[in-house]
Amino acid sequence: MTTRIFFATDVHGSEVCWRKFINSAKHYEADVLILGGDMTGKAIIPIVKTGPDKWRYHMQDLSHEVTGADDLAKAERLIRDHGYYPVALTPEERDEYTADEDKLEELFHEQMRKTIQDWVEWADMKLEGSGIQCIVCPGNDDRHDIDEILAKSTTMQVGEGNVLDLPEGYQLASSGWTNLTPWDTPREEDEPLLKKRIMDIVAQATVPPERLVFGLHAPPYDTQLDVAPKIDWETLTVQGQDSAHVGSTAVKEVIEEVQPILSLHGHIHESRAAVRIGRTLAINPGSSYVEGMVAGVVVDLDGKKKLKRYRLTSG
Amino acid sequence: MAADAGAKKPAEQTLFVRKASGLVKGWSSMDGFRYSFFSVNLFLAIWSFAYATFIPGGSLFWAIVITAIFIVLEIVVYAGLISAMPRAGGDYVWITRIFHSSIGFVIAGVGWWFILWLWTPIYADMGVQTTVKPIFRILGLHGAADWLGTATGIFVASLVVIAIASILVAVGMKTYANFQKWAMWIGLAGVIVCGILLLVTSGDSFKDKFNQAAEKYYGGDAGLLDLTKYEQDEAGLFVYDDEGNMVVVEGETHAGAFEAIEAIGAGTGMPTSTFSGGLSWATWAIIPFMLFWMAWPNWGATLYGEVRGAKDFRKNIYQMLGGLFVPTIIALSFLGLMTWKVGYQAFMGTMAAFWWGISPIGGDYISPTAMISWIVPNAAFQVILVAAISLLLFGWFGTLFLSSTRMIFASAFDRILPERAAKVTSGGVPTVALLLMTIPSIIVAALYAYTPVVEERGVTIVKLFTYDATFGIIIMFLFSGLAFMVMKWRARGIWENSALPKSGVAGIPWMAIIAAVYCAFLVFNIFMFVWDPDGVYYINLWESAVFMGILYLAGVVIWLVAWMVRKKQGMALEAVAKEIPVE
Repeated sequence: MTTRIFFATDVHGSEVCWRKFINSAKHYEADVLILGGDMTGKAIIPIVKTGPDKWRYHMQDLSHEVTGADDLAKAERLIRDHGYYPVALTPEERDEYTADEDKLEELFHEQMRKTIQDWVEWADMKLEGSGIQCIVCPGNDDRHDIDEILAKSTTMQVGEGNVLDLPEGYQLASSGWTNLTPWDTPREEDEPLLKKRIMDIVAQATVPPERLVFGLHAPPYDTQLDVAPKIDWETLTVQGQDSAHVGSTAVKEVIEEVQPILSLHGHIHESRAAVRIGRTLAINPGSSYVEGMVAGVVVDLDGKKKLKRYRLTSG
Repeated sequence: MAADAGAKKPAEQTLFVRKASGLVKGWSSMDGFRYSFFSVNLFLAIWSFAYATFIPGGSLFWAIVITAIFIVLEIVVYAGLISAMPRAGGDYVWITRIFHSSIGFVIAGVGWWFILWLWTPIYADMGVQTTVKPIFRILGLHGAADWLGTATGIFVASLVVIAIASILVAVGMKTYANFQKWAMWIGLAGVIVCGILLLVTSGDSFKDKFNQAAEKYYGGDAGLLDLTKYEQDEAGLFVYDDEGNMVVVEGETHAGAFEAIEAIGAGTGMPTSTFSGGLSWATWAIIPFMLFWMAWPNWGATLYGEVRGAKDFRKNIYQMLGGLFVPTIIALSFLGLMTWKVGYQAFMGTMAAFWWGISPIGGDYISPTAMISWIVPNAAFQVILVAAISLLLFGWFGTLFLSSTRMIFASAFDRILPERAAKVTSGGVPTVALLLMTIPSIIVAALYAYTPVVEERGVTIVKLFTYDATFGIIIMFLFSGLAFMVMKWRARGIWENSALPKSGVAGIPWMAIIAAVYCAFLVFNIFMFVWDPDGVYYINLWESAVFMGILYLAGVVIWLVAWMVRKKQGMALEAVAKEIPVE
């Protein structure tokens, strides 16, 4: 029997991408859905009240005027589809958030929790009784407290730090932690600590490598999966057309040592590719959340010792 | 809701950003500009000026201006596509996602992969004729220069181009980008020196220096200077005998090489003004030739990564506009200076001499950079200047295979090509993709060099349909233009999520209207290439049709085989690009 997996990652708060991800099982006839991390958004867009029943917001450098509740609801949905959090504010409230970093931090916190809560409810409604196994694993950009919200889902399993059973005797070992980044994100650490973390998770597995699947947010270092524009860590600016390998040496070493049949990654949106590391097929489907598209990969686990059936998708 | 792209951004906070991966500023404007600038290559420009001599009734000036106007539309279309779908693979991805996997692969497969095989010998030929041969002549290496003009010389030069392009891809973007920076500034410095030389030199002095250099490098022991005088009628046009050969004036020769050039300008019917011909049909007929150099400010489209927002849409436009306008202004300035100093007819004579096979300097192509360098009668200076400017050509060689490898990778990830097509070594060298470029390029280079010579034109049959290299890419651009035109309806999700201006008339966005006009322009050019009423583009030859037919057939066969193999594996190839339902 063949088990079909659909893996996507890095939806970064895009509501349209989340909904597409949940619907992708039917679309690609997949038995298992796996989300590889970075579920939460990066920015809040203030929708500022400009008069009775009137608002204005800026998105992607375009100024938008909104009139009436219906338009406001449409605007909020559009903003969420782009991966931003819409928050209706008065000019005074906006200025308060601008001046107070702690208050802004709390607003982000609140928005992320609320959005994840809404997403879980929507997913449970869609997946209930479908027979589809859905596993979500937060990534380095996701705060720790979203795990508990995800865990309340009646249809989804949380991958972080766990080894979960898949159909046909396969197992999935997951972690959203990455090596250090210039952004000081919630789930990142030095390579030695990261390697220990991953090895501790893998130690829970009870299947041989040819039945083991990794779901590790960070891609392996020095492969086609980890090439990103080179960044100055101080100024956070791109260094011309220069690129750099930014993946994890720990992830690379663990793959080389354990040799799972499949290793699924994300984190580096630009590095959409598939490579072989020994007997392991390692894939990063990349991310196109800014376009509202779900970049993913369909993999058929067919019981053979070498995985050959996979395709990168964009839908 | 009303969106106003032109609204002045207020000082207040419009976006709150938290610490999260990937929030960086994009490429510098200079990087984007440099890529476009190299693409609208000045060497392709002067090469295409020579082709324009096939239509002497048209205005080269107005053909350039009209083409530039329409290419501005191309820039808007591609900036829009990049902004809405910033993916490595460019045209392949857009056509695949908006139309169909098969259409995307066949059209972009020819446009970004197969047809680049033909560009290999074209690059080699241009490098030899414009730079290497003139330098060898200055150095007195006539044996080597003559050999480079042979079939084997062109073939070997093509192998060198393949080697250079492969090495540049192998060393990666970082080294290549650094090389390009130096190449652009040194090349532009050379262009400025040329401009100054032309400005400070009188027409008579230019002619004298031209004659002196021709005598020094091609006359005397070299025995290459050909001052044959051909009979001209009352209108100044060359007289032909019953067999179509130009009639030689027995017992007379021209006083110097430049006088021979002036006679060629008049004898081949070149106009005396670059404005002559105005907006006539003949001028429009020159436009397909101009695409050879002006159609490519979007060449970097396959390389763009994640782009954010409308600001990037505008930034992409500005970068590509710079890449179009700077070389266009340089080319027009060059035309203006040459017209001022020696007259437009004589300048076009230098361009026509090679293709008419009557170049007084041993039949060689009269390289503009070489003839300007001759103003300073110092061999070392001349070699340095010609070599410096040639960096504008050699700095561009790497892109010959770079964009192709992106297209090959994208189709391998879609599983149209086998997995190994996207294989890279531990050092990052895309070995299989490079082989998919180099081996066919060697075969096409051999065809370019060794197929039978067409007596009428004195070139091989494959060299005669050089413009297939433009034709195949223009067809791909047409499909990308059509994809952009229908994006609102065929890919509503992407359209709605994009930061593109959505306003329009009667429900049709301005973006779609711009794309429609651009597509109409491309259809006109494709029609001209195929119809070819003046018999000048050499695309509607049966040999050309066979060549292009094989390329498209190869694309169809590869896709069908992939479709059957993947279907057998339970993976519908076309499902890769279908949008997942949202609700």
